[in-house]
Amino acid sequence: MSEDLPTAVQIKNLTKTFPVPFKKEKVVAVDNLSLSVMPGEVYGLIGPNGSGKSTTMKVLLGLISATSGSSTVFGMSSTETASRGSVGFLPENPYFYKYLTGAETIAFYGKLCGLKRKVIKERTSELLNLVELEGARDRRLAGYSKGMLQRIGLAQALVGRPNLVVLDEPTAGVDPAGSRKIRDLIMQLKDQGITVILSSHLLEQVQEVCDRVGIIFEGKLVREGSLKTLIEIEDQTEIVLENAGSDLLKKITDLINQENGVNLIRSGRPRTTLETLFLKETGGESQDVRNES
Amino acid sequence: MSLAILVVFGFLKIPFESQTEQKLKDKGFRDWVPNMSAREQLTQASFIGAIGGFRSLVASIYDLRAHEAFRDKDWGSVERFRKVTTSLQPRFAKHWDLAAWDMAWNAYAYYRSKSEFSDDDLELWRIEKMIMPSYLEKGLSFAKEGAKWTPESYRLPMVIGDIYAQKYNNPKLASEWYFKSSQAKDAPSYIYRAYATQLAKCVGMEEEAYKVVSNLYNGGKVRTLTLRRDMERLEAYFVNKLVQSNSINELKEMVKKENSNYIIYDAIATHYLGEENNISLAVNAYRELVKNPKAPDFYRRKFALLIARDPANEERAYGLLKNMYLSTPQIFRRVDLIELKKIESNLNIPLNEKLIKSDASR
Amino acid sequence: MTVENNEPIDNELNSKFKLFSPSRVMAIAMNTFTQLVRMKVFYFLLIFSVLIIGANVLFLNFTFEQELKILQDVSFGAMTLFASIFSIVGTALLIPKDIEDRTLYSILTKPVPRFEYLIGKLLGILFLVAVSLVLMSILFFAVLFFRQHGILAEEINQMRGQPTAEQISSLKENIFAQGLRLELINGVVAVFLKAAVAAAIALVVSTFASSTLFTIIVSLVIYFIGHAQSMALDYYFPEGDMHGAFQRFIAGIVAIIFPNLQIFNVVDGIVSGQSVPMSLMFRLTGLTGFYLFIYSFVSWVLFAKKEL
Repeated sequence: MSEDLPTAVQIKNLTKTFPVPFKKEKVVAVDNLSLSVMPGEVYGLIGPNGSGKSTTMKVLLGLISATSGSSTVFGMSSTETASRGSVGFLPENPYFYKYLTGAETIAFYGKLCGLKRKVIKERTSELLNLVELEGARDRRLAGYSKGMLQRIGLAQALVGRPNLVVLDEPTAGVDPAGSRKIRDLIMQLKDQGITVILSSHLLEQVQEVCDRVGIIFEGKLVREGSLKTLIEIEDQTEIVLENAGSDLLKKITDLINQENGVNLIRSGRPRTTLETLFLKETGGESQDVRNES
Repeated sequence: MSLAILVVFGFLKIPFESQTEQKLKDKGFRDWVPNMSAREQLTQASFIGAIGGFRSLVASIYDLRAHEAFRDKDWGSVERFRKVTTSLQPRFAKHWDLAAWDMAWNAYAYYRSKSEFSDDDLELWRIEKMIMPSYLEKGLSFAKEGAKWTPESYRLPMVIGDIYAQKYNNPKLASEWYFKSSQAKDAPSYIYRAYATQLAKCVGMEEEAYKVVSNLYNGGKVRTLTLRRDMERLEAYFVNKLVQSNSINELKEMVKKENSNYIIYDAIATHYLGEENNISLAVNAYRELVKNPKAPDFYRRKFALLIARDPANEERAYGLLKNMYLSTPQIFRRVDLIELKKIESNLNIPLNEKLIKSDASR
Repeated sequence: MTVENNEPIDNELNSKFKLFSPSRVMAIAMNTFTQLVRMKVFYFLLIFSVLIIGANVLFLNFTFEQELKILQDVSFGAMTLFASIFSIVGTALLIPKDIEDRTLYSILTKPVPRFEYLIGKLLGILFLVAVSLVLMSILFFAVLFFRQHGILAEEINQMRGQPTAEQISSLKENIFAQGLRLELINGVVAVFLKAAVAAAIALVVSTFASSTLFTIIVSLVIYFIGHAQSMALDYYFPEGDMHGAFQRFIAGIVAIIFPNLQIFNVVDGIVSGQSVPMSLMFRLTGLTGFYLFIYSFVSWVLFAKKEL
């Protein structure tokens, strides 16, 4: 049972209601929601606007208190300030103090995490390198582009070496190259064993990086599970060939037709993604084909 | 819950705050209270400013307004604005000083000059009998109120003394207030002299006046002309008393006992001059007088003028007088200068060598 | 997956959470300081006040006592205006701006307790007000210094004849006694203390108010009531029993809830020559400390519950 293994995040029977002014009834934002995220996972939280996604994240981060139910981060309740010592958060449309430079921003948040001055110095350089903003380290955030702001946001989220990183729409409004970079970073985090919770509307991107996914609708968790099992179309198989001649294809098609109960649904040229084409044409990073293991 | 905290804290802080308020009152920081009468005095902005911590600034503004009103000769407004400045900052002596000055000097002088040009008898009567005295009273009341508020300062009692001395011609009250003023720590030295002068003018207080004047004359650092004149006048008074109550022989007896008391010699001389007009005996008496080192220097002038009465000695006397005049002209009173002029014309002193030229007094 | 991935990476940074960290508070305070320094409100008020104090050199034509007094009145007035207005407006901006810009989330999702955030903000603005007041008083004292020396020279020129050394020194003493003196520092401190309480009031209001404008208005109202509060106190403990019981009750409530800001108005007395005993200054400072503490506490109670 998952009860025995230590979880990164454990949300149990979370309910959150908001009172409506001047009316007796309340708005139920989250309704008896339970989910857990294991350490080292990349968990995707998806759902339409107003489904309770942000509310759930806010409870997790201690910004709101639960009406009932519990939320813990690495065993510590979300209501405790100490629990945030292991969490890094990148909000949607992040906004930081405009007059600070990139390096100063990271340093500021580093101080808030309790880092000592020497450590902050090293960490700042390290992170600026990681998010590839070394060149803009002394430029004020007022002069940053959206993508740069997103990256500096990621840097401040990571400054305290958190074991859990929560990303709210990390690639919204970012151009494909930047988007790619962010996704690569997420994979790097995963390689380091850092747990990632990510919420996004861009479902293809969620599909690319997440291990598990939870779908929230009207405050309830309606579907949850590992990505593989969720979106695999169980009864279909895909085979992709390179340099196959039409003879071979004919042979294969005949083989299929001979089997009972097996239908050829589709054959033709598989499509690459527009993103890959774009990146190829604009000198973005080389395509990183996601291999299913 | 938070309201409860505020209320509890509120209860706790009240005694502390009232204590602080009391301490402030004691130290004179709460002289002005924002009550209804204060509200009536001020414009709304001024009232808010006064409450809000700008009381001194508001007072300064009204000070300026009073000055403007003074230039416009709007005495009603002057009075009104001075009432405001003095009630906003009652411990600031200058406010009261200026208020009294505006009333008892400026307004008063204005109306007095108006009265000089007035044809209308009724108007004249009104100005002289009602308006002018009322402004003196207003000035006096400002000064007295101010003196109460500034007990450590010499300034307001001095102003009161000035009003009594210059406006009411009441040397008794003037001297009392000058005395009070002189006792303050910050009193300049001339206040005590003013006290002495006013005291010397009081009829019936000659003994006391003489004590004060002679102390100043002998011990003080400065001998003003007024001091010299007062000294001479008071001594002359005592001489007169002596002459009237004693016979010449009694006086001679007295002088044997108290030969340090030089006034008696003057009395003797006066006797000789009065009854027998015996100048030479009077001169002898004076000779004894001026031997006394304590005798003030104006006696030498008196001596010389006495000698000059005898035409035979006039020229010699003139020589003495000339020296005196050139070295210490301050011992010559106006009447003495007239006498000196007469002597010069008697001796036919040429014009370019005359000490007293024409009728112009010194 | 290997074993080590199951356990959280335990490094020293995570386990060292301090319940109260002065360095965190200082980080927020300095951040607030720099944030406010760049705001137009600050610049406008500062330049305005500096101009006013500087303009004192234009006031001539009065007796020297009047001139020196007006100089002090106007300078203190400018400083008071600046300090009070900026304390309220600046503080009122802080939290709503952070919420609106969502920078608040970036701070509170770090291990920063909410009360540290509040205190950091308050300290930041107090520090800025203090620094500004120091700068303004330096200018004020400089102007006063030059004027009083200028006045001395003018007065000496106007004296008839050759004034003795004694006359000069007594004139100098007279002029300087109304000019630059140590007492004035007490006045500046009192201005700061009142501004500090005003900032704390604004902090409380900003934690439950929804907009900056609302916070400013309510804080200003409280500020004004605080000045009239001592009148209410007189009502409650009347010298003569002239007022009805209900009025006294209301007045009592007013006295309890609102701070008495009149006690900080010692500048009026100082300018007219009175001096404030140190014990009184200590009292005022202590009372200010109390107010800051209580208002911070109340702000925390309100803010802790706030849904963000």
